Amino acid sequence: MSRAVSEVVSPSSNEGEPASWARRLVGNQQFMLFVVFVAIFAFFTFNDSVFASVSEIGNNITDFSTLVLLAVGETFVIATGGIDLSVGGTSGFAGVVGAIAMEHLAPHGEWVVLGVGTLVCLGVGIGIGLINAVLMHYARLVPFVATLVTMGAAEGMSLVLTGGAPVGSNFGAITLTEPKISVFSYPDIIIILITVVAGLYLHYSKFGRYTFAIGSNSFAVRAVGVNVRRHLTWVYVLSGALAGLTGMFIYMRLGSGAPSAGVGTELVAIAAVVIGGARLTGGSAQLSGTVLGAMILTIVSSGLIIMNVSPNFNQVAVAILIALAATFQALRKGSRADV
Amino acid sequence: MSDPTPLYEARNVYKNYGSVAAVKDVSLTIHAGEIVGLVGDNGAGKSSLVKVLSGVYQPDAGQLIVDGVERHWKSPHDAMLAGVETLYQDSGLALDLTIGANVFLGREKMKPGILGRLGFLAQKEMDAEAAEDLERTGIAVHASKRTVGQLSGGQRQAVAIGRAVAWAQKVIILDEPTNHLGARQAGEVLAVMRAARERGLGVIFISHTLPHILEICDRIVVLRLGSVVRDAPTSTFTAESLLGTITGLHAE
Ligand SMILES: Nc1ncnc2c1ncn2[C@@H]1O[C@H](COP(=O)(O)OP(=O)(O)O)[C@@H](O)[C@H]1O
Ligand SMILES: [Mg+2]
Repeated sequence: MSRAVSEVVSPSSNEGEPASWARRLVGNQQFMLFVVFVAIFAFFTFNDSVFASVSEIGNNITDFSTLVLLAVGETFVIATGGIDLSVGGTSGFAGVVGAIAMEHLAPHGEWVVLGVGTLVCLGVGIGIGLINAVLMHYARLVPFVATLVTMGAAEGMSLVLTGGAPVGSNFGAITLTEPKISVFSYPDIIIILITVVAGLYLHYSKFGRYTFAIGSNSFAVRAVGVNVRRHLTWVYVLSGALAGLTGMFIYMRLGSGAPSAGVGTELVAIAAVVIGGARLTGGSAQLSGTVLGAMILTIVSSGLIIMNVSPNFNQVAVAILIALAATFQALRKGSRADV
Repeated sequence: MSDPTPLYEARNVYKNYGSVAAVKDVSLTIHAGEIVGLVGDNGAGKSSLVKVLSGVYQPDAGQLIVDGVERHWKSPHDAMLAGVETLYQDSGLALDLTIGANVFLGREKMKPGILGRLGFLAQKEMDAEAAEDLERTGIAVHASKRTVGQLSGGQRQAVAIGRAVAWAQKVIILDEPTNHLGARQAGEVLAVMRAARERGLGVIFISHTLPHILEICDRIVVLRLGSVVRDAPTSTFTAESLLGTITGLHAE
């Protein structure tokens, strides 16, 4: 009896062949992304050795820190088969609301200001995440539309609150984003820690398991008794919370709440996730890929600036990277047996 | 049947979709170690009856009784907890997850201690147990790291059935599990059902492939237009009489 189906599910055929580990390395998207990252880094350094200087690396890390949390939240969302267009607008709005709150708190001393400010930014992000969930589950909007609505609302509210000019100047905050440990500032280190923990949760926890399972087959997940709505609510709240924290980081970096700080950054975050190898229809994503995607996007935009290429070209570069990543993915998939 | 208390019993069950009466006054029993074939033309009400038995729908009238106790399923999960596993016509696997992750979907094992309380999975343990569970049902899984999407259609079906059999405490309901399978793979699915019967499970097997029904079932229940028209041991049917009963073209 146990023989009956035993050949049906057999081990993958090419295990242990001498050349197979090399082939697997080339087929490994993370490894390829790392190679691409090193190549781009070498290219810019070869062009202008300033690119490899300590101060430029520090700048790159700061840029990376303003992007990576948005991309991390987006990775969870995209893994469920959704999309969150509101993360950029949320980060801007959170920064503005936080800046106004912190201006009022100024008499209480720096640590109260920053502590409460961080909580306010987090709260704004969580609130927008909850609104996204309500729009999807009760107003029955698809994620694209729900988060488009909150993106517009958040960006508009930022302008309404500020009249379009930066608010709550606090140039003392800027010093916090300066390097303290090697090339890293304290907020950089917190952001990197959050990213690592998020990666562990996405790939090794029950929360991450359901995130992928919902993106793969939400009917199957519901059938085994998982509350899919509740899980999706948590995912969008997480994305909003990380966008709120990004708003706080941008505030510290600029020394004020800038209403248009996050405009358009959702697309860069989505680009990082796609370059990282995630499937936009859900079920498949790698947080390490997202991080590498964010690293590549960061050095490309700063490298172009150092090369004196017009910053307007940056968007074209992002578009080209997305096209390359998507093509690579399609080719890899085409070489597999399934689908 | 010899056992006085059936594992699962439906008594005078009705299920309507608006004005369409899909299931009409159906009574059915499944005993331990028994494979019951459920057959009928397209639209006879087989899938509707399955969905009532598995908790997807609540019956409009009638009783569902497990081990002599009346139950009211609020969801398929309720029925699962009571030991009734169902393989739906369109498979309920998450193709991007590994075999082990699919077998344990919704019933994940957590790491011991603080890591488990923080939400981390005991993946190695689940992979090993999934392989054992599937092997016990007649399916050997060597490559638990592979996603189900990387398997062929027959292999996927084997995993889906293996999962259902592994978790079923009492009854397993299989709605057309051999559809789209080649002859050899279908034979393997039948073997899995026999293994489940040997383990003392009750099996409800729905299929349009009458030779399979005649080969493996202990008893056959024929549905026509939502009602049971015959419920009798397989030995009382011939291929011709079974077909005639299903279509209603000759008297049984
Ligand atoms: N969700 C539904 N809504 C309305 N009518 C349905 C639905 N599902 C099935 N039916 C109808 O109920 C009857 C029984 O269908 P079904 O249970 O799928 O039969 P079978 O599985 O035996 O082919 C058919 O007339 C079918 O058209
Ligand atoms: Mg059917």
